[in-house]
Amino acid sequence: MQKLMDRDFLAGLVLFFIGLVSFAKAGADVMDWAFPLLATYFILFAATVLVVRAIYAVVAERATDIIRFGAEDRTVSLDVFTFLVIALVFLLVMYGLGFWLSSFLMLSLASIYMTQNRTFYNVALAIGVPLATCIVAYVVFQHVFYVPLPDGAWLPGAD
Amino acid sequence: MLEGLMMALQPSFIFWLTVGVMMGMVVGTLPGLTATMGTALLVPFTFALPTGAGLAMLGGLYVCAMFSDAIPACLVNTPGTPAAMATAFDGHPMTLQGRGQEAIVGACFSSALGTLFGAACYLLLAWPMMTIALKFGPPEFFWLGVFALTIIGSLAGKSVLKGLAGGAIGLIISSVGISHATEAARFTFGIPELRGGVSLVAALIGVFAVPQVLSMIAEMRKKDTITEYKAQPGVTMKTIMKVLSEPVHFFRSAAIGSFVGILPGAGSPIAALVSYNEAVRWSKDKSQFGKGDLRGVTASEIANNACAPASLIPLVTLGIPGSSPAAVIAGALMLRGLNPGPELFQSDGTLVYSFGWSLMLAGIITFIVGIMFAPLMIRVVSIPLRLLAPIIFFLAVIGAYAIRNNIFDVYLMFGLGVFVFLIKPLGIQAGPVGLGIILGPIIEPALVQSLYISNATSIGEVFFSGTINIILIALTVLSISMVVLTRFRERARERVGEPIKVD
Repeated sequence: MQKLMDRDFLAGLVLFFIGLVSFAKAGADVMDWAFPLLATYFILFAATVLVVRAIYAVVAERATDIIRFGAEDRTVSLDVFTFLVIALVFLLVMYGLGFWLSSFLMLSLASIYMTQNRTFYNVALAIGVPLATCIVAYVVFQHVFYVPLPDGAWLPGAD
Repeated sequence: MLEGLMMALQPSFIFWLTVGVMMGMVVGTLPGLTATMGTALLVPFTFALPTGAGLAMLGGLYVCAMFSDAIPACLVNTPGTPAAMATAFDGHPMTLQGRGQEAIVGACFSSALGTLFGAACYLLLAWPMMTIALKFGPPEFFWLGVFALTIIGSLAGKSVLKGLAGGAIGLIISSVGISHATEAARFTFGIPELRGGVSLVAALIGVFAVPQVLSMIAEMRKKDTITEYKAQPGVTMKTIMKVLSEPVHFFRSAAIGSFVGILPGAGSPIAALVSYNEAVRWSKDKSQFGKGDLRGVTASEIANNACAPASLIPLVTLGIPGSSPAAVIAGALMLRGLNPGPELFQSDGTLVYSFGWSLMLAGIITFIVGIMFAPLMIRVVSIPLRLLAPIIFFLAVIGAYAIRNNIFDVYLMFGLGVFVFLIKPLGIQAGPVGLGIILGPIIEPALVQSLYISNATSIGEVFFSGTINIILIALTVLSISMVVLTRFRERARERVGEPIKVD
């Protein structure tokens, strides 16, 4: 099972998936599909070479490049996953809470989570810096560059 | 021409030029805010100014944005605009090695030199360069794009095959939306928002900024900041002398940037990428490219800054904008009742020349502002990752949303970013994917138009005849051969047990 974690083998599987999805969605017209199909054929070719190379390395008992996942990697994965969840919730509630409020919440929550030594000073910094960032960004993007960012549909007084 | 210089040197012109430069510094630094957007935002403000002053302000923003996009590219591996993609390849490794100030000063000085060269071409060689540019048709653009694709060999990391696969993924992403040939919808999966295609800037932010944010989070338990801030006394003069000590490198990069600039539709990203590729090819010691070689930064910045003034040459000579910011500037001229093209040269040549001189002055002012702010900018590396990473993500969201005011672009940026982050451990790098996304919209329309032309003649005559085609094909073959040869030699050395030469 560990031998299936070979870097080339996994890369080949991912490329096979992408290539097959692309191939399945492709049409027949030459002018429309020549370009993406050429790219798709190359991806499938690369996937085949990588998978065959990985299998040959196992069969011939040559050194393989196994991706290892230790305890440290589990902690890192949890950090990244937590941030992704915070970011995804931010993107989903942006229209409801409004861009600025949801941004402040996302920045503060993410900074507080990633603060390992949670002293009063560090937590205050994790809230203060996002607040200052949001204020500066508000002035620059709303009043200088006139970028219309989402208002809060759930907030009282919203249209 | 002298009257144009006197006009450009008026204090009010220089003031508004400086305002444009300061705006360009902000626009270029923030990923997602492009020079096009910045010039479009400034156009209404130019109505209250004399035409020359208004053009100077727009030109100042355009020139400075072409430098300031290098700042986030070097510091946080996130190009401020697509043109700085190649700058990040060496600029960010330099920052990680504690040489961030050297990278920014090098980018700043190179940008100034590139701007001066491009502006000189605008002032002195506009018409001769246009006669060459007019010989470029769809087949020539196709081969230019294919030649630019060969840079993947330099970006691929350990596996050229995976690099090329990454480039192919980028090409497929760029083909999402309505086909260039007919109205067929490609890879839309029934999602109406995808019919308009993938926003180039949102996709590039996703490919570069989001994985960088996630990498920072992955590393935050090992290190508190990007790198330790180290004051580098005397770095400004040392870097300037280093850049000046390679005149051949400068002229080659500037010539590539200027030439690509006069080709409408090619753009600064192609100029920077081709220049980077040529810098690697012609270098005696290629080992440090991609690992923190200043020449990688300067090649990209000289070219993309020489491209900016040069992209205005087709505008003033033929009335055809050479780039998106040039199109906005054309709009600003037309709103004032001036038609860019040969008539403008005849009716108001002083204005045309004063614009060229303003671009030169913009290069000089950008250099002064950049050098003044470089020590401050480099302090970004000292901001704790736990604070910096969410802020970069926040700015990336604004950048992706600001392009079309469409939340779908933000979701796309997020999804692409997570995908690129997950495939990175498999050996597929972000660079080739980004390259494919940038080059797809250039290569495919050229391919389709060439195929239509070949219906009337033959494919051989369209794609394989003509001096320019043959030169580009030869350069492509040479580029591929050198990549294959270099890899073959590295593998042979590894088998023998000889360490690969690294300076």
